[in-house]
Amino acid sequence: MNVTLAGIGKDYGATRALEDVDLTLDTGVTGLLGPNGAGKTTLLRIVATSIAADRGRVRLLGQDPSAGHGELTDIRRGLGYLPQELGYPGDMTTFGFVEYVAVLKEWDERRARHREVRRVLDLVDLSDLSTKRVSRLSGGQRRRVGLAQAMIGDAALLVLDEPTTGLDPAQRAALRRTLDVAAHESTVLLSTHQTEDVAALCERVVVLAGGRIRFDGSVLDLVATAAGQVWLADADVPGAPVSWRTGTGRYRVVGGGRPPAAEAAEPTLEDAYLLMLGPEARTPLPA
Amino acid sequence: MSTTSWHAPHDLLEAYAEGRLDAVLGASLERHVESCAECRAAIRPLSDLRLLDDAWSEVRSRLESPEPTRPVRLAQRLGLADSTGVLLSAATSLRLAWLTGSVVALGFALVATLLAAGDALWPFLLVAPLVPVLGVAAAYGGSEEPFEALAATTPYGRARLVLVRTLGVVIGTLPPAALLGLFVPGPGWVAAAWLGPSLAMVLVLLALAAYIGPWPAGATLALLWCGIVVLSIRRLTPTWPVEATQQTVYLALAAAAVAVLVVRSRRTHRIGVAL
Repeated sequence: MNVTLAGIGKDYGATRALEDVDLTLDTGVTGLLGPNGAGKTTLLRIVATSIAADRGRVRLLGQDPSAGHGELTDIRRGLGYLPQELGYPGDMTTFGFVEYVAVLKEWDERRARHREVRRVLDLVDLSDLSTKRVSRLSGGQRRRVGLAQAMIGDAALLVLDEPTTGLDPAQRAALRRTLDVAAHESTVLLSTHQTEDVAALCERVVVLAGGRIRFDGSVLDLVATAAGQVWLADADVPGAPVSWRTGTGRYRVVGGGRPPAAEAAEPTLEDAYLLMLGPEARTPLPA
Repeated sequence: MSTTSWHAPHDLLEAYAEGRLDAVLGASLERHVESCAECRAAIRPLSDLRLLDDAWSEVRSRLESPEPTRPVRLAQRLGLADSTGVLLSAATSLRLAWLTGSVVALGFALVATLLAAGDALWPFLLVAPLVPVLGVAAAYGGSEEPFEALAATTPYGRARLVLVRTLGVVIGTLPPAALLGLFVPGPGWVAAAWLGPSLAMVLVLLALAAYIGPWPAGATLALLWCGIVVLSIRRLTPTWPVEATQQTVYLALAAAAVAVLVVRSRRTHRIGVAL
């Protein structure tokens, strides 16, 4: 297993960000789904060796990151990380920024490093903007610069915090193709709060809420948890756990029993996700 | 599509592919090959694709890779690794604006020293040792900054990056500061003596920054140094802050700072907190 987390916990002062998280990941794309404040970024930062867990056992790429500097460096050699927010120092160009990260990833030989930078810029379709300053790129283009740096060296463990932010549908499709290829050899763990991203990008989904794992399985299994609990009604249903007016003017009702005169609907990933999240799941646990 | 009935003979194409043609004949053949599909097809198997690929790669590198800053180019000529140059080129402390600011500040301090009556050395002694210290603080990057969070997860490591940036500050600020120091009136040894407290403060800054952050550490040291210089003006001799006895104190402080850094990096098992 490339990632093994056992009983992981993390606190920020009085706020418990993660509690008793168990997770094992091998090759493939796993989506971390959850509302804001669910603990997704904290979990990703632990897997990316950016922070240490307060409790529990962590093994990444077969090593314990807290064992020592050598083990930690070995893990980082196989890691690609896209933080939720990525700063672009000063007036760096696209090529310059990715090259800078390539040096930090020990691509010391100039010619090989330049080839690798060009390869990852090609992957995210940014070759034409290689000499443009990052500060002059659009939000989506900057996100792709961030993705490019994470892809350097075909990392065995790719940790991507909200990689689809700012991407248009065509770019999302391109990202899916890129991750599909990467997932043959690598473990890809990405976070999002968009269910459509998970449906499009991931074969496995982990729902995190209130710092705890609420579901861990295939996307289809998650959708199946909402089977028989989704209806289409002509009028709003007061007291329904979740309902909203759809584009056709009818109301989609999730959970809480069949409303009068409503017809059953095929559940989607979003239905299952909303059904799973109770109000308590949005609140951080007290430490 | 071919636009000519004449085609280059095989031995001519071979000589071109092997780089044996002179510039005029080579350029003439190139012109022909550009417009002749048949000759392009004939020359393809003769070309060393790896060589072409390398040449094209180098052309792109020249166009795409940012030019290192002037001080970094100088350091690379003196043997600095190309990859380290990439890191230093991006460091704030080696950018022209920072270097210009540092030299201007030192220049003003020197002018003030020269204009001051008698043996007043305090303007230069106040400013010169602090220029590298504040340069290191500026080049540090807060651990919570978005880019630093990424840098901390690379095998290079944040601690090493901070040390390289520190090296960058030393490369960038010490030579001009040392040069200006030669014009400082008073005893000749003062021109070099300010390096003692300056380098000690850089090391103390690195040790202190791990606990309170680079800018608070830089501010604390700047205040302390100002206090020492003011004290020497009022109660002691103008050269007191850089005299031999005080230099031993700076040496001891530097050694203590290095010890703190070494112990901290060995003992801590928390991730990314060595510096």
